[in-house]
Amino acid sequence: MAGKKVSLFVQCLVDSMFPQAAEAMVSIFQRLQIDFDYPTQQTCCGQPAFNSGYRKDATVAARRFIEIFENEAVIVCPSGSCVHMVRHHYPELFADDPEMLARAKTVGSKTFEFTQYLVDELNLSNIGAEFPGKVTYHDSCHLSRGLQINSQPRTLLRHIKGLEFIEMKDSDTCCGFGGTFAINYPDISTAMVDEKIENILASGAEVVTGCDISCLMNIQGRLSRREENVKVMHIAELLASTAGGQS
Amino acid sequence: MRNDLPFLDNIRKALNLPQGQERTKLTVPTLFEKPDKSATRRRIERRTYQEKQDLINIFSENCTNLGTKLHIAGSLKEAEDITVEIVRSRQPEFSYNRHIVLHDHPDIAAMQLWKRFNRESVTVHTTFSGDHETTEKTIASYIGITVPSISIAESGTLVQITSAGCPRSTSLVPSIHIALIRSETLVADLKEACCLLEDLKPEDSYVFISGPSKTADIEAHLVHGAHGPKEVHIILLKEEPQQLEPQAIQVESESPSEEKTESETPPEQACTLDDQAEETAEKS
Amino acid sequence: MSKKIESAYIEGAKKAIASPTLQKSLDNIQDRFGKGAMQLWKELEDQGMRDRVKESRMRTLAHLDIILMELAQKVRKRGGKVFFARTAEEAVAYTLEVAQKNQVKSVVKGKSMTSMEIDIDPALEKAGIEVVETDLGEYIIQLAGDTPSHIIAPCIHMDRHDIGKLFTDKLGIEPTTDPPELTMAARKALREKLLSADMGITGCNLACAETGQIALVSNEGNIRMSTTMPRIHLALMGMERVTATTDEQRETLQLLTRGAALQKLSTYVSFNGGPKKEGDPDGPEEFHLVIIDNGRSKILADLEFRESLACIRCGACLNICPVYGKIGGHAYNSTYPGPIGAVITPLLDGVNKHADLCKGETLCGACLDVCPVKNDLPRMLSALRYKLAYGDNRWNVRQHNVKEAYVYAAWQKAISHSSAYRRMIKTARLLQKPFIGKNNMIKKMAGLASGWTDDRDLPPIAQRTFSEIWDEKYAKRQQQTPAIKEETNNEK
Ligand code: SF4
Repeated sequence: MAGKKVSLFVQCLVDSMFPQAAEAMVSIFQRLQIDFDYPTQQTCCGQPAFNSGYRKDATVAARRFIEIFENEAVIVCPSGSCVHMVRHHYPELFADDPEMLARAKTVGSKTFEFTQYLVDELNLSNIGAEFPGKVTYHDSCHLSRGLQINSQPRTLLRHIKGLEFIEMKDSDTCCGFGGTFAINYPDISTAMVDEKIENILASGAEVVTGCDISCLMNIQGRLSRREENVKVMHIAELLASTAGGQS
Repeated sequence: MRNDLPFLDNIRKALNLPQGQERTKLTVPTLFEKPDKSATRRRIERRTYQEKQDLINIFSENCTNLGTKLHIAGSLKEAEDITVEIVRSRQPEFSYNRHIVLHDHPDIAAMQLWKRFNRESVTVHTTFSGDHETTEKTIASYIGITVPSISIAESGTLVQITSAGCPRSTSLVPSIHIALIRSETLVADLKEACCLLEDLKPEDSYVFISGPSKTADIEAHLVHGAHGPKEVHIILLKEEPQQLEPQAIQVESESPSEEKTESETPPEQACTLDDQAEETAEKS
Repeated sequence: MSKKIESAYIEGAKKAIASPTLQKSLDNIQDRFGKGAMQLWKELEDQGMRDRVKESRMRTLAHLDIILMELAQKVRKRGGKVFFARTAEEAVAYTLEVAQKNQVKSVVKGKSMTSMEIDIDPALEKAGIEVVETDLGEYIIQLAGDTPSHIIAPCIHMDRHDIGKLFTDKLGIEPTTDPPELTMAARKALREKLLSADMGITGCNLACAETGQIALVSNEGNIRMSTTMPRIHLALMGMERVTATTDEQRETLQLLTRGAALQKLSTYVSFNGGPKKEGDPDGPEEFHLVIIDNGRSKILADLEFRESLACIRCGACLNICPVYGKIGGHAYNSTYPGPIGAVITPLLDGVNKHADLCKGETLCGACLDVCPVKNDLPRMLSALRYKLAYGDNRWNVRQHNVKEAYVYAAWQKAISHSSAYRRMIKTARLLQKPFIGKNNMIKKMAGLASGWTDDRDLPPIAQRTFSEIWDEKYAKRQQQTPAIKEETNNEK
């Protein structure tokens, strides 16, 4: 894969709370000999503000993102909802500004979710990972419905040596995160994540994985409070694992 | 009270139309354009004997799924026997008297049911147009017998059109509905049915009936007989293959581009339905 | 975020979540009908059908003036009466007038949400007219003095024991919990009402301008009864529930019955459009069609929300929505619950008043996928939130939450400068220390985001953020490897 270069777009939550997911992604690029860069001015794509209705504030974030990333050839992000934000909502934000709209669309067209990039753009399925254990996968809404990314992560998971992949019931039902929804409506959100957790437990998996830290953080937070014995890992962490542990 | 003008003005405002200018049907002629149905018509007309058999099988399967009991009768005599058997084996739901009510239709008349029951305590009513007691008779009846104009294979559906002598309540108020249909009224799907309906141009109300009345409002538990009939029986009169084949060939020899002839065929079909009924009745 | 938000929505949600009966029914209905509809769309032979119907719905809306005029003309030609009601009050007044003119003593109703929207029952009852709901679920609700919790299955919050007890109390039947027995008891009680009522009031699933007939859909047969036996039939129709041609009407109805209950056709789809003909023994002597605006023209005027009028009220979005799946219908405090209710209730009845309906979803997008006419409800919810965020003149919206707005304004400043942003993260890392529990998770948070830790833990900010790791580990690596870069460039 030499000759390829990606620009890392690291979701703010991954940056501050789950840096191991971004590091895992970096180590995979290293293994694949793909060059990478991380524009350090990046902060947040604006998704939380957009989803809460604060579009003017989100527009500031969007403009910033476009300015930082528009000269990059390929932008890769370990979070589906952020990619969805860039691809689908940026154009909405600039609907009345033709110049920015065109720039937003250009940036959107080269922004990829991590597994989407590996499978669709690089045509990879087996990247030499090894992970012993039973793993189930949660389909985040913005990935599965927004970006139609369903098969890519599964393809990669099925090719991890030693990994036993188990589908859970209703894997594509929302986990109840919804950004500030979980904070403003905790009772509803908890009822939803509890159902998700019941399905995870019923699958018998030891690890639940996904391509969006937001949902995983929600699931992990509830698992931890319920003191359940299931581990939460970002898919990049699983893909970065090799015979000798995580590379 | 009439509010047409201010109401429609509000809509025009909402649609950002210039004020004071009323649009009509003619302003946007495409709005009421009907799709070309010649292909659907051809499909109905050119159905081969085997295809018709397949339709009956699909219809039968869907009736079973819906909880409709389908009986196949080779002749009107057989249909009569099936009807008599249903009447005898069922008890009235709301009273002790056995009344049944029939649409005023030649196929039903041909069965001469009153003759079959003249030694039993079964009262047979016919919904003759102009009879002021029809509603009372219908309410008193536990079985209603009708002849729907069209039936639909894909959904196990009967199309019952209201007309003089064929009121709405016969297929609705009695506990059991028996529908007598001829296999040539069977079409594949709703699209075909609507195509025929367009030709029949029902002036009065009509209804698509698919199975017995049902509800699942209590714990999603399916129960038949919420307000309408608890049981629906369809007696399908199957036509003879010899009668049918030459007809199919005849249609095929027509030029498909002749729109007019084609669109006129179905009403003729509907007319022949009655004629054939009398014919068969004489035979039996 | 603030106290204000402890609203009827949240109260209703809590109550629903605590009811095992409701939770079981919701699971059941969603498992069968929600997922069933998704599957059905996937297997639909005619994959263009949904888009075609959506297109026809939007075309109808854009020409509603012409189509409604044509409809009215056709109905009148057949001897029916048409009344255009701009408001709920006008619709109620007209209905009452028709009832009184005809000395109506009793009314039977076929399930109609529009009748609930305009709140017709109290007006009729005040005039001394008996009003009986005839849909079994609605009848149960009426006996219990309750409100529906689903647009297709109104009494899913009650189980057979509740209903058994209710019937023993109100209908005097022997105690039973057997659904068929209960249904038969209602069948008997309602038959008398249906056969003797003076007037039937129904909704309208879909009118057709070409024929001037309205289609009514039911499985029970109560609607056929209500439109056949009483002297008067009055249909209440939301002004958008119409198609131009029979072809459009047919296709739309096919989507309706599939979306609602996975049926190719409902048990009964009846087409009525006027009084009975000379010599007909049954059917109404008078037919009235009341076409109701009641705030719809305002939605029609706003292109951002016009799409919501394409809705055919199939209820599929309720059957798939994970939020509805937990909180049921009552929490929405509206005639129209679920995702579609969350969009049109604020538009019809006040955005601020129903702010929780705009904000209380996760925007997961399942409703869009399951909707037979592909209504983009998440997009419209997001647009409503935009109005709440800053206020909006057109829809008369006040800024909903000043505190929240302030937080986002501050957030905007913070994310605009990466150095300030990283400093902020560092500060938070210091402040969180006392809250980190044994398993390296935060158990309790104070302030705006405290809702998060009511029932779940929060991972703390990492010892080293990725940006910090980058600076330490990878930024240098890149400085060391310009040679490789050039090499790769040469390869090209
Ligand atoms: S929005 Fe769509 S899914 Fe929901 S009720 Fe309306 S038509 Fe059905």
